[in-house]
Amino acid sequence: MADNKLSWTELRRALAHRAGVNEKEANAFLNALNAQLVDALKQDKQVKINGLGMFKLQAVAPRKSVNVTTGEQITIDGYNKIAFVPEAGVKELIESASTQTNDYMKKAKKQAVDPIQKLGEQADEIKDILGDLGQNPAAPVAEVPAVEEAAPAVEAPAAEVPAAEVPVAEPAPVYTPAPEPVYIPEPAPADEPAPAPKKKESHFMRDTLICFIILILLALVGYFFLREQIGGWIDSLIHEPEVEVVVEEPEAEPEVVIEEWSYDELLRTEKIPEGSRLAWISKKYYGSKAYWPYLYEANKDHISNPSLIKVGTPIRVPKLNEAQKDTTTVTFQKIRERAYEAMR
Amino acid sequence: MLTKDFIGKVAGATGMSKKKVEGLLTTCNAILRENLMAGKTVQLQGLGSLEVKEKKERVVVLPHSGERKVVPSKNQLVFKPVANMKDELKKI
Repeated sequence: MADNKLSWTELRRALAHRAGVNEKEANAFLNALNAQLVDALKQDKQVKINGLGMFKLQAVAPRKSVNVTTGEQITIDGYNKIAFVPEAGVKELIESASTQTNDYMKKAKKQAVDPIQKLGEQADEIKDILGDLGQNPAAPVAEVPAVEEAAPAVEAPAAEVPAAEVPVAEPAPVYTPAPEPVYIPEPAPADEPAPAPKKKESHFMRDTLICFIILILLALVGYFFLREQIGGWIDSLIHEPEVEVVVEEPEAEPEVVIEEWSYDELLRTEKIPEGSRLAWISKKYYGSKAYWPYLYEANKDHISNPSLIKVGTPIRVPKLNEAQKDTTTVTFQKIRERAYEAMR
Repeated sequence: MLTKDFIGKVAGATGMSKKKVEGLLTTCNAILRENLMAGKTVQLQGLGSLEVKEKKERVVVLPHSGERKVVPSKNQLVFKPVANMKDELKKI
């Protein structure tokens, strides 16, 4: 606050310096000024000082009031109040000063509000830098194809192209300076004849590779799936009597196991709500998500895939006994396997 | 009381010439204005302080049209008398 105040001493010094008098005189003047101002106010009730304003004594009329504690009616005596009215010119000056400060504040606000503008400027700077750099990296990049294709003529135009391209990209990215560094370096290699196809090729290669792998996987799955059926069928063609036994055996086993599990009591039938799943219903009735395969098992007749159940499908919820809640039993594991298989 | 009379009064009290007092007063006022413009509070010993205060912008309703208007914020020159002076002048 000390910086924000003009103290008496400072005023005295400034006055002495400005008016070319010594400090003593200035001090005497200022003291007299104050004393006489009070005196003059007493005398005339108002004092006009050119270049500053008018000091006035305003009479405040006596008024009636009530003593808050006793409720008694009292009269507050009238008194004089000192009022200061700045001169018109001074007032304007102060207000203009206010607009100055306002402008200042607005500027500060603008700076706070307009990071976009700042970013835009930064973007320009980055662009300039990249524009400069664009020519440098262009050279080594251009040299690579030169070695491969033995076409050094490409170098010169390649180096010029990014420089020309950069200003074209400039107007658009004012709002989004971030992607620029991504965009700008691109034109350089893109305009090169050799690296561009290379990039495309790598993409193409990757895609085909993925496709190829997927195809192989599909083929493998298909092969194993068909081998059991067709293989069995072919085998059956070769030696019929034996195959029948072989085919029946694996099928019979799981069927027996599943028949082992059956529920005696039905807790209730719940229509599956939206966004729910078997595991949640299992958690709701059995206290654990782990028993969902039982739910699938009990509703196998109208659920084909336990992970794709239509909303509103009625789910029979069987009662589980303690033995059935043991997830380590062979029966449960078989049931779970079947449920997982159905999911695929 | 006008400035002229006040200058005469001050000149009489200090024993300086009216011209000198006038010059000093003008310079003094100039210094005050400059400092006030810079947003400083000027303390006048035994008198009070002159201060620039910001009046915040406010919404007014024009009584005849019911229209609402925003009065922009502005700065005002405010004089705050010292308690001594206040008391002294309360009763004359």
